[in-house]
Amino acid sequence: MNLTHWFQLWRRSPQSLRLGSIILVFWLLVAVFGALWTPYGYAQLGAGLPLSGVSWDHPFGIDQLGRDVFSRVLYGTHIVILLALAGTTLGVVIGALIGLVSAYIGGWLDEVVQRFAEAFISIPFLVLALLIIALAGPDLSGDPILIVMVVAFVYTPRITRMARAAALDVITRDFVTIAKLRGESAWSVVWRELLPNTTGTLLVEFSLRAGYAPALVGSLGFLGFGIKPPIPEWGLMISENRQLILAQPITVIGPGLALASLIVGLNMFTEGLARILGRTVKLGEQ
Amino acid sequence: MRVATDPVIAVEELDFAYRTSGQWVTVLKGVSVHIEKGEVLGLVGESGCGKSTLAYTLLSYLRSNARIDNGKVLFGGLNLLDLQRSELDQLRGVQISLVPQNPTTALSPHIRVGQQIGEVLVQHDFLQDKSVIDERIQELFSLVELPNPDALALRYPHQLSGGQQQRVCIAMALACDPNLLILDEPTTGLDVTTQSQIIALLIRLRKQLGMCMLYVTHDLGVLAQIADRVGVMYAGYMVEVAPLDRLFDTPRHPYTKGLIGSVPDVDIRKRMSQSLKGLLQRDKLPVGCPFQPRCDHEDATCREMPQTLEIVSDGHQVACQRWRSIEPGVPVDLTDAEWSTAPGDRSLLALDNVSLRYSADTLFSSVFGRSSIPVVRQVSLSLRRSETLALVGESGSGKSTIAKAVAGILPPLTGIIEFDETGLAGDIRRRTAEQRKNIQFIFQNPDASLNPRSSIEQILSRPLVKFFGLSNSELHDAIDDSLASVKLDSTYRARYPDELSGGERQRVAIARALAARPKLLLCDEILSALDVSVQANIISLLRQLQTENEIAMLFISHDLAVVRNLAHRVAVLYDGELMETGQVEALFSPPFHPYTHVLLLAVPSIYNRRASNVPARTEIVGTAAGKGCAFAGRCPWQLGEVCTQEDPPWRQNGQSNWIRCHHPLEELSKRATWHLQLNGTGKPG
Amino acid sequence: MTVWRLIIGRVFTALLTLWLVSIIVFAAVEVLPGDVAGRILGRNATPESLAALRLKLNLDAPALERYWDWFRGVLHGDFGSALTSKRPVSQILADRVVNTLILSGVAFLLYIPLALIPALIQAVRRDRSIDHGISIVTLILLSTPDFLLATFLLITFVIFIPILPAVSVVTATSSFGEWVMALTLPAVTLAVVMAVYAVRMLRDNLIEVLDSDYIRMAELKGMSARRVLLRHALPNSLIPTLNITALNLGYLIGGVVIIERVFAFPGFGSLLVDSVQVLDIPMIEATVLLSAAVYIVANLFADVGAILLNPRLRKS
Repeated sequence: MNLTHWFQLWRRSPQSLRLGSIILVFWLLVAVFGALWTPYGYAQLGAGLPLSGVSWDHPFGIDQLGRDVFSRVLYGTHIVILLALAGTTLGVVIGALIGLVSAYIGGWLDEVVQRFAEAFISIPFLVLALLIIALAGPDLSGDPILIVMVVAFVYTPRITRMARAAALDVITRDFVTIAKLRGESAWSVVWRELLPNTTGTLLVEFSLRAGYAPALVGSLGFLGFGIKPPIPEWGLMISENRQLILAQPITVIGPGLALASLIVGLNMFTEGLARILGRTVKLGEQ
Repeated sequence: MRVATDPVIAVEELDFAYRTSGQWVTVLKGVSVHIEKGEVLGLVGESGCGKSTLAYTLLSYLRSNARIDNGKVLFGGLNLLDLQRSELDQLRGVQISLVPQNPTTALSPHIRVGQQIGEVLVQHDFLQDKSVIDERIQELFSLVELPNPDALALRYPHQLSGGQQQRVCIAMALACDPNLLILDEPTTGLDVTTQSQIIALLIRLRKQLGMCMLYVTHDLGVLAQIADRVGVMYAGYMVEVAPLDRLFDTPRHPYTKGLIGSVPDVDIRKRMSQSLKGLLQRDKLPVGCPFQPRCDHEDATCREMPQTLEIVSDGHQVACQRWRSIEPGVPVDLTDAEWSTAPGDRSLLALDNVSLRYSADTLFSSVFGRSSIPVVRQVSLSLRRSETLALVGESGSGKSTIAKAVAGILPPLTGIIEFDETGLAGDIRRRTAEQRKNIQFIFQNPDASLNPRSSIEQILSRPLVKFFGLSNSELHDAIDDSLASVKLDSTYRARYPDELSGGERQRVAIARALAARPKLLLCDEILSALDVSVQANIISLLRQLQTENEIAMLFISHDLAVVRNLAHRVAVLYDGELMETGQVEALFSPPFHPYTHVLLLAVPSIYNRRASNVPARTEIVGTAAGKGCAFAGRCPWQLGEVCTQEDPPWRQNGQSNWIRCHHPLEELSKRATWHLQLNGTGKPG
Repeated sequence: MTVWRLIIGRVFTALLTLWLVSIIVFAAVEVLPGDVAGRILGRNATPESLAALRLKLNLDAPALERYWDWFRGVLHGDFGSALTSKRPVSQILADRVVNTLILSGVAFLLYIPLALIPALIQAVRRDRSIDHGISIVTLILLSTPDFLLATFLLITFVIFIPILPAVSVVTATSSFGEWVMALTLPAVTLAVVMAVYAVRMLRDNLIEVLDSDYIRMAELKGMSARRVLLRHALPNSLIPTLNITALNLGYLIGGVVIIERVFAFPGFGSLLVDSVQVLDIPMIEATVLLSAAVYIVANLFADVGAILLNPRLRKS
């Protein structure tokens, strides 16, 4: 794939994909940048007068502890992106594996997997996340690994269901029957016939879930179950700075806009991706 | 382009394009046609010729991504293309009506069928009083020969059979006494016997009501029954217009000749050689004649000169500048001396008293499922090396199910299948590698049978590696050979299925099957999804391959014309049971099994035009399955009680032909009429 | 006959799923964590308090037995007693559930027109500028997490245009007016979140219906645009709309968790958060099970509705 190939792909992409990619690249750059350097330290007290408003030095104001909110948002970028991506990747990989294998093997194993997936899906997202946090106990609270696991666990059943459906759709097609009639091994059928025809769907699903993951991480942070302070996780920041709403709403609006724009970029990318892969996608939290 | 008398509707120089994936595609180019009062104009052509688009344009139905560059549609003094939606609403259903291609999806699923007709009457102020409306609905239902009109009007569409749904659609179209009826391939999805009944109905209605019709179809045989005049379309152009007889007797355009030559006919056997070579490639159409790339008679200017319709004789026009120098008519070869592979002696495949049932899949049905009647009952067949046995029947006959059983997809309920004189395991997983290699399957739908993510090279290499363990160096040549055997060149290696046409994909599927060097090919309706001319090429390819490779074929088809041109022996199935088996020529001469006779009468033939021998309307009466003859209740020659009570006996007719009927063979011969309609000679009239 | 078999089948599956959820919930909080008592008491644990708690929760009995005891209680409506307040869980739940029901009900009523109208406009005016405009707005709103949306609304209507209260604390003695003020922001937030999700799906579904063969046929037999839309198209959108609504109900149960927190509304959601914070085991079990139950029942109704409305299953 050389440069001209990429350029052609770009020109043929729908608007949403292009805009989404630009936003995502922007945020990725910010993440790398912010992890390495911020104008003020994220935990630095006394960066300015507490509760001061917007200024050139402090575009997002100062919180009541005297910390520069802008620096905190910058630094928090890579945290939210890492947690979101790690959790989604884990969830998609495990979910897809279970879904595909279950669909191929069929029989009672498939039924059992289906029933359990249904049961997990019946527990609303956030409720399930809280249940897992309860399961993990107070010691693990705030551990980033826990957050990644929570995201992965919440996603796995839904992705299993979707991967299974996609796999079933492929399995019933004639070319898979031909492969079976040839006596191909199960491995060969899954690898050569099944997987190549489901990667499109799985890719779109990954993008979709990755879009919601920052919101999930943010929600957990907002409720106080996320990364512990003083690490500037965006959800936590929004929650903390809510007390300052009357005084300096910018301290909430800043991280809020950051989170919203990141998710907008992800969702646009998902929509564009779905369009060029010829699939429809249901954006949203379900 | 003079217009004879005052036509009901006239299309002038229509240029039509629509946009898909960002590109504008020309669908119709400079098309002009008219329909006179009381006449039936047939529109024929293969996929992509634009005939359906033209039909819908007569109703001024345009999608939002469509564009009319030029042209008019004149009806009653108005240009329909200029009218607004509200004006068109007053025209459609009243003066111009449509009979759709797929009645099952065209009827709203949540509204009772009577109401769907009623709303047409109300909307167009045709009738107002409710009781009068109900009467009219009854009247219409009787007109289209639907039984129990009052009860039927209350049914939902899914409660009706395909044939009944189409009758409802016809009734709906006739509700307000339209001047023009547009029929878009109205019988395409129906069984051949149902199709013939619908066509007979349309012929009767036309005589009775006198409206004119535009009949769109790809089936020349159907056209030969109903059309007065025919327009032939190719790649968006109108290439020939002629009265029906003139078109079939002396076609002038090379495409028309090729098309007629490609159609397998049930009345005679043809050479079926490459009547139409090459393929339509839309992106490479020349500026001049669209058919030029495939034409044998072209000269230097054909490529550049746009063709216009020239007058050949009264009512006959052709868009070909060379028509005067081309011989009219279609060469027909009546002998089949070139094609006679002698089948071997030993039995290759034998089915002994096989019964089959669809497998029960889910947990629920295996726990709660009741035992159901087998879909195939006690079928015994045999096939020798190099022989083609055709399994013929309509939908529900069980022919595909039998193929699946031989393939190993569906294990038999009872009975034995033997291959090469050894038992064949029901399940593919318990068969030997040798058996898997020797039996190859080709599916109906070329879109679904090739992995869209694999290149042609990868698709063909799998069987070569699996069955012969070829190394990479050997593979290269083997794949080229494989492609060459189905007349595809080596540029196809690197391509992917979505870059190929339907016919090309089916060839790849055939190549894939042949790569295994099998002894038996299972072909499950492999031609049904293809255009007529493509079918012809594949038929001639299959014949050639059979001669070269000594392969036996189990050929599943519903098309008797194809069967006559391809098979050595035939077995006719109805509702899961065998009715008749034997040599193919014996099948097409008396005595006939009653069902075979019904099938033959139903096949529309271009040599037997305007046939009036419509089979009697038969109601499907539920039979106590498993007892008596499966065809009882529908049989026009039913003997009586004995047909439903006792299993009919097998009667031998000649050396290897068997008919299963309570009637003795002499009686069957006496009643047969089909073979007589060809002037008694079996040659085209 | 088939219709009833289908419905019974669905009910059976729903019950099975609910039972599996109960196992999952119980295992999550009482079996898997190992030292449950130690977890709960945390750093304040003394050998005596641990022993007392173990006795109270019957932790020494085998897991299956404990599950069975709990499950039997649940079937009778007895969820045990809260660890913190010692009051019966069902009592505490009852008050909170009622509050949340009211909030959900209002949110739902707001959501229906908010979802249907834009979807209809988009479907009928497909690919024109208003279609694109609405799509962009829904995309942006969709991408805003619910707590963020709630916070933004809070900032707008409490600070910039101060007409609503910052918190929605209501008690048994609050007046109707106070209820209305308290409910507005949380209900609107929930309604908007549900609506933007539904609008996209409804639009796609309506367009799919409008592209069907039978719509084309209705148009070609001369039916007016209005009649085609109302009589032929919309009824076939009912079933998918039911499904979308069931999904939204599922969201609602999860959504209240965080929205109630933002506005300090004393409902079911904030109860769950509180009990997770203190590891009040019986409370957690009850609230999670109840959430799942609502979701399952909502989906069951949607499924049954779809079966009953399906024209292909109707007999004349």
